[in-house]
Amino acid sequence: MTRLLDIGLDKIKNLLVDMSILSETTVNMAIESYEKGIAIRSKIFDHSEKLRLLQLEIADFAIELIARYQPVATDLRFLQSCLDISYGFMRFGRYAYDISEVLETIGPSHKCDTSIVSTMALIVKDMIKLSLDSLRDLDKDISPKLYVMDDSVDSIYRNFLRKTFKLDSEGLSTTITINDMKCYMSTLLILRYLERISDHACYIGDCVHYIVTGDPTPRK
Amino acid sequence: MIVMNSEKNNPKNNENKQYTDKINNYIKKKYKRRIITNKLVTILTIISVVVAVIPLGSILIEVIKNGSEAISIEFLTQKPGALGSGKGGIGPAIQGTLIIIGLSSALSVPVGMLTGIYLSEYSKNNRFSTVVRFVNDVLTGLPSIVIGIVGYVTLVLTLGSYSVLAGAFSLSIIMIPIIVRVTEETLKLVPNSLREAGYSLGLSKTKITLNIVLSTAKSGVLTGIVLAISRIAGETAPLIMTILGTSLFFSSFTGPVDALPLRIWRLASQPYESAHSFGWGAALILIVIVLFLGVGLRVLIRKNLAKVEM
Amino acid sequence: MAVENLAPVEKKEQIEESFVYLDDEIEKSHSKLVVKDVNGWFGSKQALKSININIKPNSVTAFIGPSGCGKTTLLRCLNRMHEMTTGAKITGEVLLDGLNIYDKAINPVIIKRRIGMVFQKPNPFPTMSIQDNVAAGLKLNGVRDRNLIQDIVEDSLKGAALWNEVKDELDKPGVSLSGGQQQRLCIARALAMQPEVLLMDEPTSALDPLASSKIEELISNLRERVTIIIVTHNMQQAARVSDFTAFMYLGELIEYGATNQIFKNPKKDLTERYISGKFG
Repeated sequence: MTRLLDIGLDKIKNLLVDMSILSETTVNMAIESYEKGIAIRSKIFDHSEKLRLLQLEIADFAIELIARYQPVATDLRFLQSCLDISYGFMRFGRYAYDISEVLETIGPSHKCDTSIVSTMALIVKDMIKLSLDSLRDLDKDISPKLYVMDDSVDSIYRNFLRKTFKLDSEGLSTTITINDMKCYMSTLLILRYLERISDHACYIGDCVHYIVTGDPTPRK
Repeated sequence: MIVMNSEKNNPKNNENKQYTDKINNYIKKKYKRRIITNKLVTILTIISVVVAVIPLGSILIEVIKNGSEAISIEFLTQKPGALGSGKGGIGPAIQGTLIIIGLSSALSVPVGMLTGIYLSEYSKNNRFSTVVRFVNDVLTGLPSIVIGIVGYVTLVLTLGSYSVLAGAFSLSIIMIPIIVRVTEETLKLVPNSLREAGYSLGLSKTKITLNIVLSTAKSGVLTGIVLAISRIAGETAPLIMTILGTSLFFSSFTGPVDALPLRIWRLASQPYESAHSFGWGAALILIVIVLFLGVGLRVLIRKNLAKVEM
Repeated sequence: MAVENLAPVEKKEQIEESFVYLDDEIEKSHSKLVVKDVNGWFGSKQALKSININIKPNSVTAFIGPSGCGKTTLLRCLNRMHEMTTGAKITGEVLLDGLNIYDKAINPVIIKRRIGMVFQKPNPFPTMSIQDNVAAGLKLNGVRDRNLIQDIVEDSLKGAALWNEVKDELDKPGVSLSGGQQQRLCIARALAMQPEVLLMDEPTSALDPLASSKIEELISNLRERVTIIIVTHNMQQAARVSDFTAFMYLGELIEYGATNQIFKNPKKDLTERYISGKFG
C-alpha cells in the first residue's frame, strides 16, 4: 500500500542522497587540493553553498511532512534524523571550505610534510564512505565501527597538537623557519577540521542507528 | 504543495471529457420524455387524491347536513321516546358508549401495554414470544362478529344476562392485539443506546423500562391506544351479541346498556322519518366523540413532544 | 463537598505521581484496573483472546486497533456491559482496586456505578431536561435530597465543561443541545454518579473537529478526577490525549505501553505497520 506520506519520504530520501554525494566529493576535493597544492577555493565554496541550500530545503520539507501527515514510528524517526543528517552533510561542506580557506590564506603546502594529513584524510574519507553506506542500507551496525575510527582520528589530532605545543615551548632554541611555522599551522588547522568531519560522520551513524532501533545512543 | 503536483496533465482527463459528452447526449435525448412523464404522474396522483377524498368528504357533509337538525339538549340527554314519536333522545346510547370505551380501555390498556413491554424488552425472541406474537396477529385479523359470539358464550350465557361487562370484554379483545403490536413496535424503535446509557448509570431493568424506554416511547404508545379506541368506538356486531341495547340509562354492570352504533343501527331499521333523522344525529355524535378522543389524546401527546422539541 | 458521601474519592497522592512512562513502571505501580486472562465470546466467535492489561490510576489509556479487533468488547468487559448482549460470554478476572468485578457476590449495579461509560453517539435521555439528564442516575437510584442533587448536577456539569453554556437553561430538553454539547452532557451524566473509572467508546466519532477537540481537552482535564479508558479509531487522537496506548489486533493485545513509546518506537512490527497507516 502506498501512502501519500511515502511520496514525500521518497523525495526527501533522494535529496539526502544528492547531499551525501555532493558532500563526499567536496571533502575529497578539499583533501586533494591540499595534497596536490592546488587552489580551488571558489569551487568548494560553491559546493558548500549548495549543500547549505539543500539542507534548508530538506528541513523545510521534513517539517511540512510532519505537519501534513503526522508520521509516526519509523517515519517520524526518519524525518527527525533527516534534519540531523542533512546538517551533518552541510557541515562536511563547510569544513571542506574551511580547509580550502586555510590553504588560500597560509599558502600551498608543497614544501610541507603532508603525510600526517594524508593518513588522517584516508581514515576520514573511509568514515564518510561508511556513514553514507550505513544511511543507504539503514545498517545500524556501522555506528560502532565509526566510533573506533573516530578514536584513531582523535589520537592523531591530539598527538600532533601535543607535538606542536612542545615545539612551541622549545622552539626558541631550535631554528625554525617561517615555512615550518606555516606548515605546522596549516597542518594543525586542517587536522582540526578533519577531526570535526569525523565526528559528524559518527553522528550520522548514530542517526541511522536511531532510525532503525528507536534507541538514541548517547553521543560520546 | 510539493508532494502532490506530480499528476497534472493526466491523459485520463481527456478520456473523461469524452465520457461526459456521451453521457450528456443520452441525457438530452431522454430529457423531453422525462418532463412529460413527470407531468403525467403528477396529474395522476392529484386525481387519485380527489377520488379518495370525495367519498370521505361527502359522507362527512351528508352526516353533518342530516344530523345537525336532530341535535338538541333533549336529544343528547333524554331516553328515546315512544316508537316513531320523534320525541326523546339518545342519552343512554351516548352514556353507554362512553362507559364501554372506558371499561374496555381499562381492561385492554394495561394488558396490552404489559404484553408489548414483555415482547419488546423481556422475551429474548424465545419460542414463547414467537407464539404470543403469532396469536396476537391472528387476533388482530379476527372478524368482530366472532369475537361477539365468544363474548356471548363466555359471559352472557354464564352470567345469564346481556351486560356491559360482556361488551367491554369483547371490545377489549379487539383492542388488546392493536395495543400490543403498537407498544412492541414503538418500544423497539427506542434506540438501544438509551438502555445502555441506563445500565451504565447502574439502573435496574425495571427502572430503565419504565422511566427511560417507556417515557421515550409514550407518544407512540398513546397513538396506539387512540387507534384502538377509534377502532372499537364504531363496532356494532360484538355489541349486538353482548350488550343487546336498551332504551334505559345505565343501571348495573351486569345489565344491558345502549351504545351509539347499536342505536344507529336500530334507528336506521325503523320505518319512520323521525327515526332516520335521529339516526343521522347519533352518527354525527359518534363521529364527534371519536374525533374528540383522537384529537384530545393527540394534543396531550403534542404537549409532551413540544417539551422535547423546543 | 457533598459529593464525598457518595464515593470514596481516589487518593490524591496518586495525581502527584510523576508520569514515568516505563514498562516496568506500569507493571510495578498500583493499578486501578487489572485485567487478568480475559477471554470474550459472541456466540461461538471468540472476540477476546487472553487479554492481560494493567491500567494506572488517574491516567488516560487508549485502546486502538482496526475495526473488529475487540477493543470495544474489551472496554465493555470492564464494566460488565459485555454480558448484557445476547450470546455474549466472558471468562477471566477484572480487578477494580483488587476487587474482582466478576465475583459472584458482587452486584453488577454497584460496578456500573463505580465505572461509568460514555458512548459513541451522544445519547441523552430525550424526554428529560438537561438538569434531569444529569440527575437521572441519582434520582432513579433513589437519591432524594434535592440540595445534594442540585450540588452534584452543578459539579458534574462544571466537570464536563458544560456549566457555563447551559447554566441559564437547565430546564431545556437535553436533546436541544448541539452534538458536542450533548456528548459533554452525557459525560456529566456519567460523572454525576461519581465514578472512579470512565470508559469512553469512540466518544468523538460522531462529532465535528471543533467539538472533538473540546472533548479531548476535557478528557485531559478529567484525568485528575477519574481514570479514563478511551477507545478510538483516530490515531492522532490517541497520541494527543492518552498516557498509555494498547494496540489490539484480531482479539489479541499486541502491544501496550506509554503512548510516546508506542507512537515513536513501537516494539512490534504489527503495531508499527498499523499506526503508520500501512494496513487497516
